[in-house]
Amino acid sequence: MNHWLILPILLPAIVAPLLALALRHDLIMTRTFSIGSMVLLVLLGGYLTAMASDGATRTYALGEWGGPVGIVLVLDRLAAVMLLLTATLGLGIAIYSLSGCDKAGPHFHPLLQFQLMGLNGAFLTGDLFNLFVFFEILLIASYGLMVHGGGAARVRAGLQYVMINLVGSSIFLIGLGLIYGVTGTLNMADFAVKAKQIAAADSALLQTGIALLVAVFGIKAAVVPLHFWLPGTYANAAGPVAALFAIMTKVGAYALIRVFTLCHGDAAGGAADWFASGWLVWGGVATLIVGTIGIVGARSLNQQASFAGLASMGTLLIAIGGFTPALGSAAIYYLIHSTLAVAALFLVIDMIIRRRTGFGDALVAAPRFVHGGLIAATFFVIAIAVIGLPPLSGFIGKLLILSALAGQTSGGEGGGGVAGWPWLWGVILVTSLLALIGFAFSGTLVFWRRPSDKPAETASPPIVVPMVAVGWLLACMVLMTLLAGPATDYFDQTAGQLFRPQGYLEATLGEAAAGGGS
Amino acid sequence: MSLLLIVLLPFLGAVLPALMIRSGRDACAISAASINLLALVLLLTHAPAVFRGESPRVLWRWVEPLGLNLSLHIDGLGLLFAALILGIGLLVVIYSRFYLGRGEAVGNFYTYLLLFQGAMVGIVLSNNVLLLLVFWELTSLASFLLIGFWGHTSQGRQGARMALAVTGSGGLALIAGMLLVGRVVGSYELTEILASGDTLRQSPQYRWALGLILIGCFTKSAQFPFHFWLPHAMAAPTPVSAYLHSATMVKAGVFLLARMWPVMSGTQEWFDIVTSVGLITMLIGAVIALFQEDLKGLLAYSTVSHLGLMTMLLGISTPMAAAGCVLHIINHAAFKASLFMNAGIIDHETGTRDLGRLGGLLKWMPITAGLAMIAAASMAGLPPMGGFLSKEWMLEEAAHTKLWGADWTLPLLVTVAAIFSFAYSLRYVRGVFFGPRRDDSTTPHDPKAGLWLAPAVLAALAIAFGLFPEAMLGEVVRTTTRGLVGGAEPKFELALWHGPNMALAMSLFAVVLGSLAIVAYRPVRRVWRQIPLPEGRAIFDWALRLLSGTTRAINELLHGGSLRLYLTTMLTAVLAMGGWAFYRHEFGRGMRPLLEVGWVEGAVWGLLMIACGLVVVFHRQRLVAVVAIGAIGLVVSLAFVRLSAPDLAITQIAVEVVTLILMLLALYFLPKRLRAEQEPGGGLGRALVSIACGLTVGWLGFATMTRDFESIAGEYWRRSLPEGGGANVVNVIIVDFRGFDTYGEIMVLGIAALIIFGLISGMMRGQLRGALARWTSGESYSPSRHPLLMVVVTRLMLPLSLIVAAYLFVRGHQMPGGGFIAALVVSIALIMQYMASGFGWAEDQISFDYHALIGGGALVAGATGIAAMALGHPFLTSGFGHFHLPLLGDVELASAMAFDLGVFLTVVGGVMLALAQLSNLGECTRDGATKSEPMDYPHTSGQGGTSREGRD
Amino acid sequence: MEWLVAAAIATLTASGVYLILAQRTYTIVIGLGLLTYATNLFLFATGRLAVNAPPIVGDPQAPHTDPIPQALVLTAIVISFGMTALTLVMAVRGYFESGGDDVDLLGPEEEVAKERR
Repeated sequence: MNHWLILPILLPAIVAPLLALALRHDLIMTRTFSIGSMVLLVLLGGYLTAMASDGATRTYALGEWGGPVGIVLVLDRLAAVMLLLTATLGLGIAIYSLSGCDKAGPHFHPLLQFQLMGLNGAFLTGDLFNLFVFFEILLIASYGLMVHGGGAARVRAGLQYVMINLVGSSIFLIGLGLIYGVTGTLNMADFAVKAKQIAAADSALLQTGIALLVAVFGIKAAVVPLHFWLPGTYANAAGPVAALFAIMTKVGAYALIRVFTLCHGDAAGGAADWFASGWLVWGGVATLIVGTIGIVGARSLNQQASFAGLASMGTLLIAIGGFTPALGSAAIYYLIHSTLAVAALFLVIDMIIRRRTGFGDALVAAPRFVHGGLIAATFFVIAIAVIGLPPLSGFIGKLLILSALAGQTSGGEGGGGVAGWPWLWGVILVTSLLALIGFAFSGTLVFWRRPSDKPAETASPPIVVPMVAVGWLLACMVLMTLLAGPATDYFDQTAGQLFRPQGYLEATLGEAAAGGGS
Repeated sequence: MSLLLIVLLPFLGAVLPALMIRSGRDACAISAASINLLALVLLLTHAPAVFRGESPRVLWRWVEPLGLNLSLHIDGLGLLFAALILGIGLLVVIYSRFYLGRGEAVGNFYTYLLLFQGAMVGIVLSNNVLLLLVFWELTSLASFLLIGFWGHTSQGRQGARMALAVTGSGGLALIAGMLLVGRVVGSYELTEILASGDTLRQSPQYRWALGLILIGCFTKSAQFPFHFWLPHAMAAPTPVSAYLHSATMVKAGVFLLARMWPVMSGTQEWFDIVTSVGLITMLIGAVIALFQEDLKGLLAYSTVSHLGLMTMLLGISTPMAAAGCVLHIINHAAFKASLFMNAGIIDHETGTRDLGRLGGLLKWMPITAGLAMIAAASMAGLPPMGGFLSKEWMLEEAAHTKLWGADWTLPLLVTVAAIFSFAYSLRYVRGVFFGPRRDDSTTPHDPKAGLWLAPAVLAALAIAFGLFPEAMLGEVVRTTTRGLVGGAEPKFELALWHGPNMALAMSLFAVVLGSLAIVAYRPVRRVWRQIPLPEGRAIFDWALRLLSGTTRAINELLHGGSLRLYLTTMLTAVLAMGGWAFYRHEFGRGMRPLLEVGWVEGAVWGLLMIACGLVVVFHRQRLVAVVAIGAIGLVVSLAFVRLSAPDLAITQIAVEVVTLILMLLALYFLPKRLRAEQEPGGGLGRALVSIACGLTVGWLGFATMTRDFESIAGEYWRRSLPEGGGANVVNVIIVDFRGFDTYGEIMVLGIAALIIFGLISGMMRGQLRGALARWTSGESYSPSRHPLLMVVVTRLMLPLSLIVAAYLFVRGHQMPGGGFIAALVVSIALIMQYMASGFGWAEDQISFDYHALIGGGALVAGATGIAAMALGHPFLTSGFGHFHLPLLGDVELASAMAFDLGVFLTVVGGVMLALAQLSNLGECTRDGATKSEPMDYPHTSGQGGTSREGRD
Repeated sequence: MEWLVAAAIATLTASGVYLILAQRTYTIVIGLGLLTYATNLFLFATGRLAVNAPPIVGDPQAPHTDPIPQALVLTAIVISFGMTALTLVMAVRGYFESGGDDVDLLGPEEEVAKERR
């Protein structure tokens, strides 16, 4: 029995209550355990990624029932990569929080652990309703983190965030109801199989149910016009929390990829129909444009970073929506990069805010502040990564997407290009330019422009710990750049695995039920 | 290998100066210089091979599927440019040491400089166009930092941003162009691209690729209409202007034109566009330069003009013209860099670069003047300077090239350009060193050798190139041209004197008219000022203002923070998606027979309708709303009873009670009467969306309910009792089949409780505590807060309900009940104590730590699962049937029950923590002075208290 | 019966949505509550309706309803209970923080004020 699969969920699920129960009055122990569990999760993620690299799909039948009766965890390359990414990010956030923001309110570390539990569960589960449960876990943990530290604007933004997501949860349940009501199952693989066998008279209901799921994942992934929760939330959350939320949108992206690659491959299983129609590409375009407009027109650094996050989702969604293996591979690369980059951006902005007393992140000239040079350099590098200029992974990611859009990536399964790729090229490149202009403006304003009258700021918060956290994320991006070759190989194989869902189906249901080759 | 080292050295070395900031200017300068020198030496070791006609190359695979490889090579063209970059770089490093003042961040300066140098070398040595793109963008970024070196000045910031925006946009166009090229050729390796010129020129994408690549080159090399950024980049320290904006970076565009020359040139499009753009740029630059008042401005526009010249020569597409371009690149690098440094010296010594305030410096600064005259002469194209050769060459080429369908246009226009370029060169010398001194405030003098050494070297070269062209440049130009045209270079000998020819005549003509222009400068300038011209800078700024204005407006419009707008949009979108999916697929009505309706159901249903109506209409009277909600909850649980869902019914009713208590507690703090909503359009849209949602969901529900289907339920029926050990299938599902869901669900409850705790305890600290203490509900409540009867009843109820709970808990696995319901019953009983007997009293009696309950519960549930793992089964495997003990019947449910116990604990803990905190909050307000004895006496409160609404 | 349930779901959804499109936190919380009822009923109904057929294993001949949706709804009820509680407390906290029960975000100038604090 391969217990490795449950650990990414179990570890935080044990550590978190422990922190809340026993250690909540002992900061040192809390921090030690929190960091320790993060480190273990990173190692675990690495191990699982290595384990999955053999191309086999591993399953873990909770309660020994096995699908479709019981709940099944499924580990394939994509899930493993997402676990590793989540842990990597989580470690960075945990380290950064040591610089004091975990003391702004109670239960920061338990909530962080719960958040990771929810994320890991969402990545591992092979059951639709269980996915809902883990969505709720990661959401409620995120509600807590969102309002961590309090403040009028933050709590209001938090309320909006909660309310929008509660509506989302209702939609999720209705969609689930429809799907169960037609296919009579909740197991993803089983659903993928049954979806192809339902009576024609039921297909409309099934498709509506799928549509509602798409909508929910779309809300998570902040597809315009379902994105409205994102700017306010990111811009008002505490720095490290906003950084952690960089992964939240990716959960939606992951769910989209997962569900639709499973249903893909057979015309009758009209779920893939959603992608055949290529709507997501244009949703991505809209997202990219709205996000870029936001970057240029932002009034504060955090707002700008939020919209940068939105824009990166746009690029990612274009790649996912194109739905070719080559694009899938590029999408995974860019997903990882953008998560790390946006998170690092929020962290460095938080460092700025804590030094510009009285000015916060408002885009106005403020006095020179402590460690200005170092922070400016860091901001510069991260901004470059976010915009997607060389030399960091952002550039490679965008190149991968661009060339895959035109169907000229040699690697992977190849696959043709996407209709209208010249337009998509145009959009991606022009938005990159606008983002460049936006960040050039804010950067020069914050770091170069000085009001003549005011004296230099003297506030000198800790620099080492935050820099370690940011450095960790940066180091990962550098690694992504240097090892782009091996990485893209892995992702090509990942995309290949996703586009041949038979393996997944057989692993969860067994040869017979999976119903032959699709 | 050493090729890679040449590129890497500056990047690695860039760290040194940054580290040495503390150790002073010399340390920084020396470290930078030595790195630079090392790279130069390494480069020169390759020279012999290149002159022999070989082109060494190295290749490391990087991103296979993309075709992006770390592949470098060096040929004539690359060698020349690399030599320029590193050679002039060295001079600039030395010059900067003496130019920059003590206060400046010299360390950063050299770091940026080396970064730029590395990127630049990378461009010229790349053998993979994607790699070239990487370095290309890096030069833009590095130049952004260098131009913004004095970022505290607004010119510095604007110049930097403008340069970045223009060259950056070019870079992005270039990306698209190169990707297209790769698409056609099937590889990004330069050598392969160069080999497949015909394929490219004939492909339908040629025009697109050409256009995009040209945009890249023109923006970088400040060609018309992108020329306007270069003069503004002069806000940079002068060494930067000398290095980036005359000698190297702006030549990157020319370099790329030259690099692509073999594959792209020769077509009509290439000739027309490149030649014309070059020519126009050359003219405009020269003309504007003449009327500049700022020395660096004059030099900047002259640079624009000379870059135009080079572009034009490449456009002409003959090998000879290309050779001329190469020659001019060398000469221009020498004299222009020298002149910039010269202007720097003048600025440094006199404190101004304004031609209006300079003059007569000859006798004060003889050396500077001498150097300036040599360099300027070369710029003006006078013999015996190097500039003369290349200008003659250019005129010669122009003289017999046909442009715009006439063979006189090109010769004529280049002559005009030559006139102006002679004129502004003359003006520089005359304006600075001759005539009266206009500004006597300072007594300028020649600087230390350190400062004039670099320009002196370059000036010397400028003469040497002219006097011994063949010896100094002959081989270089031929080798470079060979690399440029890719193959057989034209045969030629460099010589100062070609005898009387067309070109010479044009030069003489230019000199004469140019001198006249200077003699009659003022009237000429008056004429010039009459001409209205569009100013590139103004247009650029206008565009930026427009951009930021519109984007801000859109942001405010879309993300102004109105939740109603957000939700309306989102719901509409979701409805649209659902509808789209529904109508694109086949739908058949369900055939399942309907259940008949008795009058009871009808009545209950009516109650529900009324309740809903009440809520919607009277939702602003909060108590009505709460009561209606209660009614609705009741109806729902009745429905569950009727529709064979006992567990749901019990749970629903229990949850209902707790929720209502919570709502009442929360209401106590929320404003007493809700202000009316603003209803744009009378709330019509709002109503429409709501009704649409209602109808959709209702219809979907009906459609589902009325059709038969196959579900996995059968499995559960068969296996529940034998394998799950429970008759109550729902409960078996909850704690066993899908126990993992329940595990997650109690986590959610626990987390919610923790957050609530955090939120409220946060309110009882910090500035909120004050607000809380001042706060009063502003209403008077029943004077007897803890009525005797209620106290007694609740006390009696407590043990009773505990027993009920225990019963529910135990039987849960067989009949309706279970841990969750039991927990709610217990919680309700406890809450009763709080409500009846007061917070303080209850707190004293009930001494649980609710945190411990939550954490403990979660851990117990987890431990149950892990126990199974210890026994070698998956997480949460039910203990049933796994312990082979004699009295199996008793312990068969052990593990499932333990799990349920975990649920129980967490739920009690969660609910109680939340409620206790809320009532705790009440105690912190003015109304709530803690009453510890159970039956206290009337206590009137709050009348005079300023309510919170009053203050805000 | 199906008609009644469907109508109930529709009414609950409609009134719920109408209330969450309000601007006062408390109203929205109520609306979310109604929406939850609707959702749970819907989810429950996807198991089809049955009378006098409790999901208790007894006489195999006896009719029985589909237990799965019931189990799901049970989980959903618990989760939504936690969410409701949290939202209520957040509403209270927000009211004390900003002195209003408005749900719309603060404008830019208020943001600046926040930063100045």
